[in-house]
Amino acid sequence: MSQPLPPQTGASDRRPLRLSLGWLVLPALVFILAVFIWPVGKFLALAIDNSDFPSAIPRTASVLDLTGPDGIGTEAAFAALVEDLAEAQKTRKDALLAQSLNQRLVGTRILVLKTSKDAAAGRFSQPYRESVLALHPGWSRPEIWQAIKDNKSSWTDYHILASLDLKRQADGTIGKAPAEEAIFLGVLVRTLVISTVVTLLCAVLAVPLAQAIVSSPPALSRVLFALVLFPLWSSLLVRTIIWIIVLQKTGPVNAAIVFLGITDEPLTLIYTRLSLYLAMVQVLLPLMVLSVVSVMRRVSPTYMKAALSLGAPWLTAWRTVQLPLIMPGILSGAAIVFVFALGYYITPALVGGPRDQMISSMIAFYTNKTLNWGLAAALSLQLLVVLVVIAALFWTIQALARRKAAT
Amino acid sequence: MNRVSACLSSLVVLSCLGAPALAADITVVGWGGTWDKAYKEGVWDPYTKATGNKIIQEEWGGELAKIRAQVQSGSITYDVVSVEAPAMEIGCAEGLFVPLTPDVTGPAASYLEGTLHECGVASDTWATVLVYSKDAIPGDGPRSWADYFDTAKFPGKRGMLAGAQYTLENALMGDGVAPADVYKVLRTPEGVDRAFRKLDSIKSDVVWWTSTTQAVQNLSSGEVVMTDQYNARINNEIEQEKKNYAIVWDAGFFYGTDLWAVVKGSPNEQAGVELLKWFSEPQNQAGFSRLYAYGTGRIEAAEHIPAEQLAKLPTSPEHLKNSAAYDGAFWTENKEALEARFKAWLEQ
Repeated sequence: MSQPLPPQTGASDRRPLRLSLGWLVLPALVFILAVFIWPVGKFLALAIDNSDFPSAIPRTASVLDLTGPDGIGTEAAFAALVEDLAEAQKTRKDALLAQSLNQRLVGTRILVLKTSKDAAAGRFSQPYRESVLALHPGWSRPEIWQAIKDNKSSWTDYHILASLDLKRQADGTIGKAPAEEAIFLGVLVRTLVISTVVTLLCAVLAVPLAQAIVSSPPALSRVLFALVLFPLWSSLLVRTIIWIIVLQKTGPVNAAIVFLGITDEPLTLIYTRLSLYLAMVQVLLPLMVLSVVSVMRRVSPTYMKAALSLGAPWLTAWRTVQLPLIMPGILSGAAIVFVFALGYYITPALVGGPRDQMISSMIAFYTNKTLNWGLAAALSLQLLVVLVVIAALFWTIQALARRKAAT
Repeated sequence: MNRVSACLSSLVVLSCLGAPALAADITVVGWGGTWDKAYKEGVWDPYTKATGNKIIQEEWGGELAKIRAQVQSGSITYDVVSVEAPAMEIGCAEGLFVPLTPDVTGPAASYLEGTLHECGVASDTWATVLVYSKDAIPGDGPRSWADYFDTAKFPGKRGMLAGAQYTLENALMGDGVAPADVYKVLRTPEGVDRAFRKLDSIKSDVVWWTSTTQAVQNLSSGEVVMTDQYNARINNEIEQEKKNYAIVWDAGFFYGTDLWAVVKGSPNEQAGVELLKWFSEPQNQAGFSRLYAYGTGRIEAAEHIPAEQLAKLPTSPEHLKNSAAYDGAFWTENKEALEARFKAWLEQ
């Protein structure tokens, strides 16, 4: 590297080739942009999107003296609201407003929908404040008007804060969310703990297994390999339900435990963290084994033999010679297993207990059940950020390991 | 039939639906399995016979997000869909479904409470009932939700859905609230606290379930001695699997509905509405309940169901006396907040 190559010759020869390489990558790049980065980005943007408010009630949002001294809307505010809701009812923007307002303030969804229906039907007349309050006294809650004031902007940090168990207080500062809403950080930490434990278990199990596959004669090696891959080929639900049958009170494992006299009573094995680890390791182990085997195959057995012949005890030889050489395989396997484990939610729902649910199940709940895509996007973003941080850590460790293996 | 299978097998359903058809092929989306089978034999086959219109059955998991995405992107592949009541509230308000007029649905007075909606008619009326294993509890079994919460009287673990809906209602019934008054109590903050206090009393004796398969498996293996569960699933276990279970109808129960809705802007929107008009006739919808232990919406449908089958339905006049309808409006507003609180409570 210290002696630079003559620059002209090589560069001019390679330029056309480089250009064509760029063209080769282009289709894949366009594909990834179109089907991955763009839609995912669009979904994640929902985390801060707040356009439901200003686009449904633009006039109300721009009324200057929105509330009177009692905290309730002024006549001007009510007049704007009636006009806005009548229009929103026709474009059905009222439903999205109702949903967003209900997220901020439980019990307002139906109030908004009924009011907008009446507004569209022209049931209100001047003075609007009295007219609306007579039919829908719910609008006399100052909290509703505070919520409208707080949501004049088209973007919000509400969902991002909620995903971090935080909430804006009445005075505008950020504080802790009340205990019955603060559920996400705990689940995130748990998701990381479960994924880490599963990754470690997989690593510990995969290394000896990979060694056995690499060292055994080809026929046996193939059989071992097929056995390892078997869980990957079976259906997720079948695989998961089988664990319920095996681990339940009257299942074979408990029968064996009682028969052997280890305990008198059958143990609670299913719907625990233990059963979750078992089911997840079963599925993810093959990925780790594949990764370790591919690296181990390239490591010549002569290194170990040399270390042993020089008098090192087997364990020392393995730890100082073999382990550093296969470390890149373990690390890339760990990265794959960890990332897969982070996204698990069907398996925890089926074989885990209520204290074993992971962050993805929350995302699915808000996406599918309550259609709160803002919070779902905020939680997804949170998971993505965690993933990027961990990936950066992994790459650093991997690079260090590689450098160490090279020296 | 050939055209249908050709469409499905070639995976160009869209272009097939777009092509002019002699008779409409309506894509009806249900909940799969035996539910779909009962609908095919009891309702859709007679419909095809009567009108010549063919029905293509598909199944889904109730994710309203799917329909929202179809409507937003303009490529709608579902015509008529069975949706859960809270999703119906949201979807109808968002304008995803076609509003139905009384000349389609029939008079509102002839529907059970909660089974008729601005945008839908009940496809199935199900109940979450108290059920126990007679193998685990021989002799006198539990007779009320108070017994369900009484672990001194009936030792053993209880199965319970790991969610706020169903569970909070059951807790209040266990605390002596009549089904008809449960939502009056739940609409107050003190009422919600009361339900959670009742759950506190039994927390360590509960095995939580998240899927029906789990709940039934737990009852069968003796993991739990009693559980809450959908009545048709238990009926199936008793009849097909010969299990020794008893449904305690007299303990009181809540019934809920899934409702047929026509997706707005679907290529067969009009045919879909016509289909629901035909379905809204009591004798036509009774075809489903004759084959499946769920009711429908029209009260008169009971007249077209044999007494023996009627006794298995939540909508039999006998059972309805101890029941109340799940309050869709309550859950639409409170689901997110109460499910979050419930999750926080579970973690404690």
